[in-house]
Amino acid sequence: MKDKKQKIIELGGGEEVLRLAPVMTFTYSGKKYVACTPEGQTGDEADLLICYKDKGEYVQAKGELAEELFSAFRSRVKNSSSSASLEYLSLNRLGKIGYKTVKFFKGIPRWFAEKFKKLGRAIASFGVKIAENVKDIGTTFKNGSWKTRVSYLVMGFGNLSHGQWLRGILFLLFEIIFIVYMALWGGSWLSQLGSLGTVATEKADVWIPELEEFQEQVIHVDNSFKILLYSLITLFFIVAFIYTWRLNVKQCRICDEITASGKKVKSTKDDLKSVLDDQFHKTLLSLPVFGIVMFTILPIIFMILVAFTNYDSNHNGYSNLFHWVGLDNFNSILDFGSGLSVAFGEILAWTLIWAFFATFSNYFLGMFVAMMINKKGIKIKKFWRTVLVMTIAIPQFISLLYVSNLFEENGIINATLVKWGWINSPIPFWENGTLAKVMVILINIWVGIPYLMLITTGILMNIPEDLYESAKIDGANGFQQFLKITLPYMLFVTGPYLLTSFVSNINNFNVIYLLTQGGPQHPAWGSVGGFVAGDTTILITWLFGITTGVKADYKMASVIGILIFIVVSVLSLIVFSIMPSTKREDDFS
Amino acid sequence: MTEEREDFLDFDIVPEDEMAGDIDIEPAPYTPHVSAEATVSRREAAEFPEEAPEKRHMSQRTKNRIVNTVIHVVLAVMSFVWILPFVGIVLESFRCESTGLAGYIFPKVWGFDNYIRLFTETKFPKWFLNTFIMGLVTAVVQTVFVLAVSYALSRHRFKGRKFLMNLMLIFGMFPGFLTLILLYTWMNDWGLTDANAPWGLIVIYCASSGMGYYIAKGFFDTISHSLDEAARVDGATRFQIFYKIIMPLSKPIIVYTTLMAFMGPWGDFVMATFMANNSSAGYNAAAGLQWLLTDSMKNDYYTTFCAGGVVVAVPITVLFLLLQKYYVAGVTGGAVKG
Amino acid sequence: MATVKLTNVKKIYGKNTVAVHDFNLEIADKEFIVFVGPSGCGKSTTLRMIAGLEEITEGTIEIGGKVVNDLQPKDRDIAMVFQNYALYPHLTVFENMAFALRLKRVPVTDEKGNTRYVKLTQDEIYKRVTEAADILGISEYLLRRPRELSGGQRQRVAIGRAMVRDSQVFLMDEPLSNLDAKLRNQMRAELILLREKIDSTFIYVTHDQTEAMTLGDRIVIMKDGFIQQVGTPTEVFEMPGNLFVAEFIGAPKMNTFNARLIKDDGGYTVEVCGVKMPVDGEKGEELAKRQIPSSAIVLGVRPEHITLTGRANPAALPCVIRVTEMMGSELHLHVTAPQGEQLIVRIPTVSLTSAQVAALTAGAKIFVTFRGKVMHFFSQDTGINLLTDAQAGQQVPQITQNQQEKDEMPVKNWHLKN
Repeated sequence: MKDKKQKIIELGGGEEVLRLAPVMTFTYSGKKYVACTPEGQTGDEADLLICYKDKGEYVQAKGELAEELFSAFRSRVKNSSSSASLEYLSLNRLGKIGYKTVKFFKGIPRWFAEKFKKLGRAIASFGVKIAENVKDIGTTFKNGSWKTRVSYLVMGFGNLSHGQWLRGILFLLFEIIFIVYMALWGGSWLSQLGSLGTVATEKADVWIPELEEFQEQVIHVDNSFKILLYSLITLFFIVAFIYTWRLNVKQCRICDEITASGKKVKSTKDDLKSVLDDQFHKTLLSLPVFGIVMFTILPIIFMILVAFTNYDSNHNGYSNLFHWVGLDNFNSILDFGSGLSVAFGEILAWTLIWAFFATFSNYFLGMFVAMMINKKGIKIKKFWRTVLVMTIAIPQFISLLYVSNLFEENGIINATLVKWGWINSPIPFWENGTLAKVMVILINIWVGIPYLMLITTGILMNIPEDLYESAKIDGANGFQQFLKITLPYMLFVTGPYLLTSFVSNINNFNVIYLLTQGGPQHPAWGSVGGFVAGDTTILITWLFGITTGVKADYKMASVIGILIFIVVSVLSLIVFSIMPSTKREDDFS
Repeated sequence: MTEEREDFLDFDIVPEDEMAGDIDIEPAPYTPHVSAEATVSRREAAEFPEEAPEKRHMSQRTKNRIVNTVIHVVLAVMSFVWILPFVGIVLESFRCESTGLAGYIFPKVWGFDNYIRLFTETKFPKWFLNTFIMGLVTAVVQTVFVLAVSYALSRHRFKGRKFLMNLMLIFGMFPGFLTLILLYTWMNDWGLTDANAPWGLIVIYCASSGMGYYIAKGFFDTISHSLDEAARVDGATRFQIFYKIIMPLSKPIIVYTTLMAFMGPWGDFVMATFMANNSSAGYNAAAGLQWLLTDSMKNDYYTTFCAGGVVVAVPITVLFLLLQKYYVAGVTGGAVKG
Repeated sequence: MATVKLTNVKKIYGKNTVAVHDFNLEIADKEFIVFVGPSGCGKSTTLRMIAGLEEITEGTIEIGGKVVNDLQPKDRDIAMVFQNYALYPHLTVFENMAFALRLKRVPVTDEKGNTRYVKLTQDEIYKRVTEAADILGISEYLLRRPRELSGGQRQRVAIGRAMVRDSQVFLMDEPLSNLDAKLRNQMRAELILLREKIDSTFIYVTHDQTEAMTLGDRIVIMKDGFIQQVGTPTEVFEMPGNLFVAEFIGAPKMNTFNARLIKDDGGYTVEVCGVKMPVDGEKGEELAKRQIPSSAIVLGVRPEHITLTGRANPAALPCVIRVTEMMGSELHLHVTAPQGEQLIVRIPTVSLTSAQVAALTAGAKIFVTFRGKVMHFFSQDTGINLLTDAQAGQQVPQITQNQQEKDEMPVKNWHLKN
């Protein structure tokens, strides 16, 4: 398996593309260009193409421009420190850091502007696409044969009349199922979506067979939960139907066109063959994507909607209906000064601090351990590695629960220390907030180092030996070698990993929950709104507690979930776009 | 002689008239730049006595030896710290004199009591079986799903590919616990909770597993596309390319995906506890063992928990160490690809 | 076994990335044709369109008289050799070569006249693979896997894999560029021999003009998606259609000067670097025949056609040597002409005395000249050869601006850079 990421540029968007592997990026007269070779070919100079981004799409440079660029590229190859301006080179170390920082912050507004422009363009092009589709539907009806026109009402008619019976039957079947579903259930669910139900329970006479008489009983009428859920499913179904209907119209048009040009349309036999050939990706994707839509996307959209209702254990949607409340839940958590917003702020701050320390302490220490084991002259390397790797295999709930008990008030550590007379009373590892935070980070290092050791070992061994040799000749000592060669290389290669590991630490439920369950409970905001929170509580454990706790406040859980999403996505976007290692592809290739 | 030569073309090549003797060349003046350099290097060499490098070399070696010794000691200490909890768990599991937390490591009375209790007094055999079945089914289905999604996204170019990837990226950023309630309600409607929770969990683990396509896609991305093209020219359908060409080349990633899928249910206690909803027959090993450590049970079952931990950890660790190579390849590739 | 015909073939990636413009070419049965050009000129794209690996945006491709636009690669009866060999790493050499044969279905007609498609028999596959392996000299490696082979052996396997299929058209995409220089020369010679044994039409893509010249029956020179010239190696060498072709074919590349063509009673002369040289021989006659008027032109002369001369020669250019490259059998002299033009001169050492060779060092002053018959005349505006004749079997594209974006203009404004 190759270790280096091969980023692929795709020339010409759409379905068909020329795949290129970048060799180096460089700037020429203020514009960015990428030199690349067709994927899978060698880096022979004659294969080089130079591309640049035009309206978000890569375009190949041609003609005289290309010649200029080629000569620019060659001169860049010769002295590849080109990206830094002369001004930058003349600065001292502190100046360089300042220069970079200023550049970083100057870049942020431009970056946001770019993102918004991109978003605007995307929305605009979406609108244009819809308009085009509507227009196409119109013209297809106008120019189409009578068969096509019938298909507007009876889906699949066009396909059937052209002999594509499989497609036709599938279309027709889908339409029948859709109409039946909407008539029997979908419509009534949707009609209640606005109110989420009106009557929770009512008394009614129910026929009791055993007693052979009617008896007055409480029966449940509406169920907000089900109304919301099935309305959502109905909406999904409607979208799917519109898409399928559009497909049906398009296929009729294509059939008409093919027949008009005197060719034969694809037969059912061809369709069946293409399941394993042209359309194989659909075969591969259909079931997994259906699973994702039903078990991830639908539930998440459902819970996003729940954030705008008052769904909790008091309004369970069953004996007590819940309703739309607009932005009330968001107001209560973000309204500064109120108890809940204080708790949220504290927990968010600790979450970020925790993620930062958890990520970077592991990263550097793991790398350090890997370097120690890798060092020439170290014996039984395999043994050291195996000892560490073994700890990955053991499920965390076993090791962490044991470690948690190790540091209990009457756990082995405290008992031993007291016995040895080092301390008089047990150290409150989990009872003191600050101490608990430190312990959580330390134990996370214990958990994380083996992973990082594994990941970095391979990459460290991939650093070209001649880099170190030339550094030695230039007179760099071990630490300087680390600073100038190892670290930049590692950051470059594992930059994206650092981000993902930061995000996964934001959501690192296991370590916190198994060690402290979020405790010790904070006296000031530890029980605001009935939600238990403590010094080591991070957003995800808070969310879990709110969902499964006594109060089961689903609406607030949803709000917190959405806020976590916002934090994570904004962080990812910023880091991915500004992080130097994702940009400087040329330095280490 | 002449007849044999008749087939040959008859060329009389006349040398160009301005060639050879008739050329005027004005030679360039002579520049003696070689000797100057030679004298300089002589002088430089004289300034450094011969012994100096030898001495430095020695001290470097001693220094190196000291550093290596220090590192060995550090590594030994580290190994001890890392292994200690596991040794501790094993020791606790053999402690017979008490069942709760104890302030010491080495048991006073050794015995298999805890293991016997684990298998007789608790539902551990059921939990273990639950987890094992979940592991097997998930390993198969999840591997198929992950490979299907990652292969399609890596090696096929189709309309909506970017959209699909973005969709999965965005929804992957929501915390998974958010869906707990809905999934529970759903599974409850189908009777797949409580004692049947393992089956509900299998559905949940497998259904969305396509989201974890990143590492496998990174692997497929490294396989040259010209293999696909060569196979297409050779007459293979896309499906034949998939199972005749690419799958045989993907053993490491298949093993990695399967291993991860199999190990997943062994470590999950959140979903498992939630879905089983207090029906301890539906627990998996993690949920069950964790349940033994709840405040009301801890004093009676702490050592039993440790015994259970050993029973769960040993087979998994052995499996893991056997397949370590694939795990390292997968996790390293994944990290580099981001 | 088949002709290949490309009519108005065009390839556009995405919305506006044009890779191939209006490609027209007829390839005769069993012809060996070479597409050559710098990177990004569209040669590989054209080949891949013929193979069916890229869709054709516009135009038609016919193989053996049948339009193949909508056919899958496997239905086009083609074989292809890839640049990086694309051998299946998990299969042995034998299985690599047999892969296509195992998938193949051949029509069999029984007594009742029904056609069925059946697999090849094991014996047939074995026979075909071993035969091909014999020809290529890889019989002893049949049970090895690709990674146990050297570069040259892998190359042979790749060719063998294509060979066993007995296809109508044999496509090769830079097959030699992954080999080192020595092996490449050897394989090139073997390809020429192999061609006699493989009974099919060859289309060969390369960026190396030497390969193109030595292998091709005809050469298609491309740049920026346009065909610049189609012709036999001799044609493109002796009568390059435009400046691009002139500079691309031949190594070191052709020297070019801004010059003036002067027509007078006695015939034509060129004024170059302040020296007047008569255009004698064929070229002078050609110019006269076409009645080319006096004009500013670009004059091209190949390095090997420039000779050393004495100061007495009226057509002698006095030059100063900047760099001398001793190649053994010849000297490459990089010299500076009177008005600062840089040119390269190739002198065979056999024509010089050792004293003369020793004197030809940097800084030495020499006189060079060239005869009229080796001169090439190009228009300063279009770069087109003034002596080309559309009837002479050459296609010189008249490039029109409308189909091109501004920065994609090919041969235009050949104002010399030095």
